[in-house]
Amino acid sequence: MKFPWLSIFIRFVILVLLQVVIFKRIEFTTGIFAYTQFFVYPIWIMLMPIRIPKPLILIGAFIMGLVIDMFYDSLGVHAATLVFMAFIRDFILNLVEPEVGYDPNISFNLKKIGLLWYASYIGIFLLIHLFVYFSVEAFSFVYMEEILISTVMSLIFSSLLMIILILIFNPKY
Amino acid sequence: MRNLLLLIARFGSTILFVFLEVICFFLIINYNRSQKEIWAHSANLFTGSVNSKVQSTSDYFYLESVNDSLLTENAKLLAEIINYRIYSKNNEYQDFETQDSILQEYDFVPSRICGKTVNLRNNYITLCRGAKDSIQAGMGVISSDGIVGIVKNVSDNYAQVMTILHGQSQISSSIMSNDFHGTLVWEGEDARKMSLITLPKHAKIAYGDTIVTSGYSTVFPFGIQIGTISDFEIDGGGNSYKVDIDLFNDISNLSHVYVVKSKFVEEKEEIISEADQ
Repeated sequence: MKFPWLSIFIRFVILVLLQVVIFKRIEFTTGIFAYTQFFVYPIWIMLMPIRIPKPLILIGAFIMGLVIDMFYDSLGVHAATLVFMAFIRDFILNLVEPEVGYDPNISFNLKKIGLLWYASYIGIFLLIHLFVYFSVEAFSFVYMEEILISTVMSLIFSSLLMIILILIFNPKY
Repeated sequence: MRNLLLLIARFGSTILFVFLEVICFFLIINYNRSQKEIWAHSANLFTGSVNSKVQSTSDYFYLESVNDSLLTENAKLLAEIINYRIYSKNNEYQDFETQDSILQEYDFVPSRICGKTVNLRNNYITLCRGAKDSIQAGMGVISSDGIVGIVKNVSDNYAQVMTILHGQSQISSSIMSNDFHGTLVWEGEDARKMSLITLPKHAKIAYGDTIVTSGYSTVFPFGIQIGTISDFEIDGGGNSYKVDIDLFNDISNLSHVYVVKSKFVEEKEEIISEADQ
């Protein structure tokens, strides 16, 4: 099977740029919204072709995490989270599998698979991603309250953001 | 080798996952300040608790030798205190500037208890030390809380002690506050109670008064605390009180004792027996 390497690479570059140039700078300052962080780069792992070999996706996640970490000045935190998400991606895909199953050749075509599926996939994936990320960042469950608040707030805004991106770019695979 | 390849083929991605996560956490801990501090602190908590557990366990193994050295030290301190007490009692009205010549009358040999009875009419204790450690028949035996008994028989390595819980035990003792003097006997009921007899009936006594050894014999030094007065009555038709005493020490749970060595036994006994003749 041929993988669309070029578009995967282009997505990588664009998502990293979006993340570190734009969304890293967006901050809310009032009240509970101050906990919000915008995440777009995990969608790169989400949109990987279904049949991609696991070692490749793990290494890809590691590289992407390290690049993000370099800009975020938090070496290892994003990488650890993203490698973990790449590892459990198959489980999440099984969890939200549509009744007709996946078509491995066209992967996640918005027209075929539907916006609702995208929303639930993004929701579950991001929920776990954010929770793991904030846990690793705090590095101690003493800060459980902050971890949960950050997870919920970031989940709301980041998943909206991702769905908008999906609608705009409408990826074919 | 084939098995290894199969293993890698089967769990390769899991192994890679674990490997990458280990790298990530290594980076997190080494290049992020707050996580580094949390890690160091948690690691210290863990290793600290392990260390203290190991320490307390190994302490337990050294308990016996520590006990022995503490016993020896205690015996030395006890000798110091008692000799000083006797010295100051004997020189009550003298100037204390010439303290350098405190008479070292008593010495103490610490010993473990190898065997004992407390529930018979006549109770004995066996000490794990004997003639080799210069224990002789007739020496007194005390514990940290009070008196225990008198050495009766000695072999090379063991000594048999007639405890104060014995029908023939008679200890010369007095009331600490006013020095009225009587004989301490055991009536054979309770291992924690004894009686003071031949205490003259004009003596001033009260509940709770402390009874100490009189120091009139060479067996026990002066002033070792024995117990407190719990009850007293005048013997019917007699001339003396019969006083019930609650002992300070409990012989049934003793494990270590000190044997009292007096340097002037012979001298003192000589002059007493001369007077008798």
